[in-house]
Amino acid sequence: MVEFQDVSVTYNSSGVDALNKVNLKINDGDFAFVVGPSGAGKSTLIKLVLKEIDATSGTVLVNGFNLKKLRRSKVPALRRTIGVVFQDFRLIPTMTVYENVAFVLRVIDAPAKYIRSRVPYVISLVGLSDKAKCYPTELSGGEQQRVALARALVNDPQLIIADEPTGNIDPALSYEIVELLKGINECGTTILMVTHEHDLVRYFGGRIININKGSIDFDEVVGGAHDEN
Amino acid sequence: MKISSFRYLVSQGITGIWKNRMMTFASFCILLVSLLMVGLASLTAINLTRIISGIEDKSEVVVVISDNADKAAEAELEEHLKAIPNVNSIELYSKEEAWNGMLDSMTEEERAFFKYADENPLPDTYRLTVKDIELMSETTAQIETLDFVESTQSPTTFADVLISIRRIFTILATAVVAALVVVSLVIISNTTRASVFARRKEINIMKYVGATNAFIRIPFFVEGMIVGLIAALGALLMTKFAYEGVYNIFSDDSVIWVVMGMKKLYSFNELLFPVSVSYLAAGAVIGAVGTSISTGKHLKV
Ligand SMILES: Nc1ncnc2c1ncn2[C@@H]1O[C@H](COP(=O)(O)OP(=O)(O)OP(=O)(O)O)[C@@H](O)[C@H]1O
Ligand SMILES: [Mg+2]
Repeated sequence: MVEFQDVSVTYNSSGVDALNKVNLKINDGDFAFVVGPSGAGKSTLIKLVLKEIDATSGTVLVNGFNLKKLRRSKVPALRRTIGVVFQDFRLIPTMTVYENVAFVLRVIDAPAKYIRSRVPYVISLVGLSDKAKCYPTELSGGEQQRVALARALVNDPQLIIADEPTGNIDPALSYEIVELLKGINECGTTILMVTHEHDLVRYFGGRIININKGSIDFDEVVGGAHDEN
Repeated sequence: MKISSFRYLVSQGITGIWKNRMMTFASFCILLVSLLMVGLASLTAINLTRIISGIEDKSEVVVVISDNADKAAEAELEEHLKAIPNVNSIELYSKEEAWNGMLDSMTEEERAFFKYADENPLPDTYRLTVKDIELMSETTAQIETLDFVESTQSPTTFADVLISIRRIFTILATAVVAALVVVSLVIISNTTRASVFARRKEINIMKYVGATNAFIRIPFFVEGMIVGLIAALGALLMTKFAYEGVYNIFSDDSVIWVVMGMKKLYSFNELLFPVSVSYLAAGAVIGAVGTSISTGKHLKV
């Protein structure tokens, strides 16, 4: 669960008010699209959830953690409850697909036996079983993003956040990525996805949060074209 | 942390050496050259110190014993001399020995002339060496107050020269070695910082998936330590060749050393243990600590 209470963010370096008294609640099991023009504050919202930055004022609650009170040393514990997918994939270039995914489980000290069975399973979910031994540079953008997805869901997080996960890949493949996210969501994981692609949002529908100049000016559930068929 | 996780992190450190071979190689070279510079400079200093102290050992104080001293008095004097803290070694040089020594150094004619001298005109003497040459005049003064001491002869002027040489040398050697250490540390820290900087994205990603700082640091630590150890081994081999090359040149003319009254240079084998330990320890510590300190800066995400 993610909850924002009167959250404002001002970047010291630029003096920009990126978010302005934002109130937002995303319940467990929700699937929400975050849309809005460039510079509206979407990535800032994501950074807050990951505690990459702190709110200038207001309260951010994520998966039972109050981020204002969370000590530095507890940040890893928070991040282990969240899967993240970025526009630029962010895979570790010196590790194979398998190792990139397995790394998340090694971080949480998972038993070697569990890693050996869980990682191939998750890689097969994103359809990359035959590429498990490849390095990220040997994969297409769409494939890399699917590895990133596998990594995000391998430790079964409560929440997956995705900042423009389809931004760097072929539009046709974007649907595939969102389909995957929808599938994960149906198993109970909360999904928060930032996107610029209105076609995608129109097609899938669901909860749509529009941010404009640091404020939420639209937050409703909209039926998708996909559902009408 | 589980054993399997620890083993994983160590193996990550080891494979990291090859995966990041360009930067690893750079760190390796820098460490090797630094160890070599500091090592050779230190070895030179150690040997020069030994040569100087060899000369110092040769500078004896001669204590002339009074004619009226009998055997018992001489023994008592010896005890008193031995009790002086700065006295290192003491040796009796009897008048007979002195006389024979003098005859030996004479030409045939001179000897013929002196052979018939009815009485040996030379006195018994003690030859003693001091521990600290800087205290030589004080020690001499102290000896002169003892009973049955006729007079003393000591190379105080020579001692003064030696003392100033030694002082200047110590300052110079310390300065050179210290400068080399500082230069090395600056270069090494820049290199490791660059090598870690090249991997900051990787570190960043690890942080996003919830890795703790220790988890990220251990592989870097292991990697730095191994590179440091390998560089130390390389530097050790090169030091051995360089050192033995120089050593052979000087020890060829071993006569010179004896004539000049100097101790010989240390052989490499005499120094092998301390040199190996210092190289390996310095390499491992600098490699490991340097790398993990540089990692720290990128962990704050
Ligand atoms: N690290 C930063 N330092 C200073 N200002 C920043 C920083 N990051 C973002 N900003 C500013 O904050 C505002 C919001 O940025 P943010 O990245 O949240 O926008 P966004 O909605 O994600 O845009 P886009 O769709 O282009 O990714 C922008 O005006 C931006 O210039
Ligand atoms: Mg953005």
